[in-house]
Amino acid sequence: MSYKSTEIINKVKETLISAGSTFSDDKKEIYRQAIEKESQPVAKWVLENTLKNALAAEINRSPLCDDSGIPHLFLEVGPNSEVSGQLIADIHMGIYQGLNALPGRPMAIMGNDFERIDQSGGLNVDPGAMLPSPLIIKPTKEDVLRLHVLMHGGGPEIRGKTFRVFHKHSVSVVTDEIIDWTVEAAGKLGCSPITLAVGIGRSHFEASTLMFEAMVFGKHSIQSDIEKDITSRVNKSNIGSLGLGGDITALSTFLKVGPQRASGVRIVSMRPCCSIEPRKASVVL
Amino acid sequence: MIKIQTPITNSIIEKLTVGDMISISGFIYTGRDAVLPKIVTLIENNQIQALEINLKGAVIFHTAVSPAGVGPTSSNKFDIESSIPTLSKAGVKLHLGKGALKPETIAELKKHNSVFAVIPPVTALLKDKTISKKVVAFPELGMEALHLLEIKDFPAIIAAVNGKSIYDEL
Repeated sequence: MSYKSTEIINKVKETLISAGSTFSDDKKEIYRQAIEKESQPVAKWVLENTLKNALAAEINRSPLCDDSGIPHLFLEVGPNSEVSGQLIADIHMGIYQGLNALPGRPMAIMGNDFERIDQSGGLNVDPGAMLPSPLIIKPTKEDVLRLHVLMHGGGPEIRGKTFRVFHKHSVSVVTDEIIDWTVEAAGKLGCSPITLAVGIGRSHFEASTLMFEAMVFGKHSIQSDIEKDITSRVNKSNIGSLGLGGDITALSTFLKVGPQRASGVRIVSMRPCCSIEPRKASVVL
Repeated sequence: MIKIQTPITNSIIEKLTVGDMISISGFIYTGRDAVLPKIVTLIENNQIQALEINLKGAVIFHTAVSPAGVGPTSSNKFDIESSIPTLSKAGVKLHLGKGALKPETIAELKKHNSVFAVIPPVTALLKDKTISKKVVAFPELGMEALHLLEIKDFPAIIAAVNGKSIYDEL
């Protein structure tokens, strides 16, 4: 194995561990603000313990949650960088090693199509057997090759939604729909407060990808007016932490609007990221 | 914080109200989507004695048990929520997980004097509160097998008791 491959594998491995075990600084800060704002004692206690858990996981480099998540990858490619088959193989090896080191929860189902659907093929005991999702590659003007690793848990996948919205030439029609979906989802999710990720695009694939991109680049400390409005209206639901009632149902909204087509329809993808998500970390390769 | 030691008696349940913060210690079972329907089938076929488990006064924590630790999965997933009535009838007193349950499930809990409590997803903190763990049934299910944990001071909040639910007020 070349020196370069070894270096990339190690960087990706450590990035996956960081994604699975560490709150970003802006996430810690939004939690501190939420604890300050929350008026319900039980909800405040949940928020305090969620932050305490994150600080313990960061010190131990251990999973934030027992559902350690499915690795999702986003690669930014600058004008002077190249993506080769070897690079992708090295990234995948880094993911494999990272899942074993974290350790990730072994939850890959073995077997043929039928056995993987009905879960009759048994579990693979190797945490690294949990393959990452397809790699999303996007160009950047920055002269860099940067990998983002996100770990997606199961709860938000149960409650997420990608569907069409007839916009009636009104932004509020679309945001009203997003808020309706979110309030219903957050109530059933269990692990609130959420961070709401939304993508608006021309196809289901594109909307999902934009939603993913919103998670990659979204920051709690930088919120647009539309993001602030959605968060504020979701918080009027009084769902609160763990769905037990309270002022903070959503910490922030991460919204990405892509190119749109001439049509009365927008495709909206919504993911109510749970209290520890988005779990993410980045590395320059 | 109300301290609860397993096994749980009816008199302990009668003192609980929605929103109570509790701390659970003792031995508890874990189970989720894969194993709970199997346990229910054994109970319904009068074959539960084949397993060396005692459900009287028991706690069932809806979690996997893996090297990543333990933490609540959604109790309102079909395979989990549908197990609650039969398990409660068989003696389980506390179902521990997360997420809102249906009114019909809340009614079943009341019928059998059982409760539902939610626990925050604090896997890193629960690690130090887990004294021991072992598989007690269906080892082929791996992390989803029925496990017995010995725990100390798992924090939780009573979300449904005596026909009332914390979600009713939202």
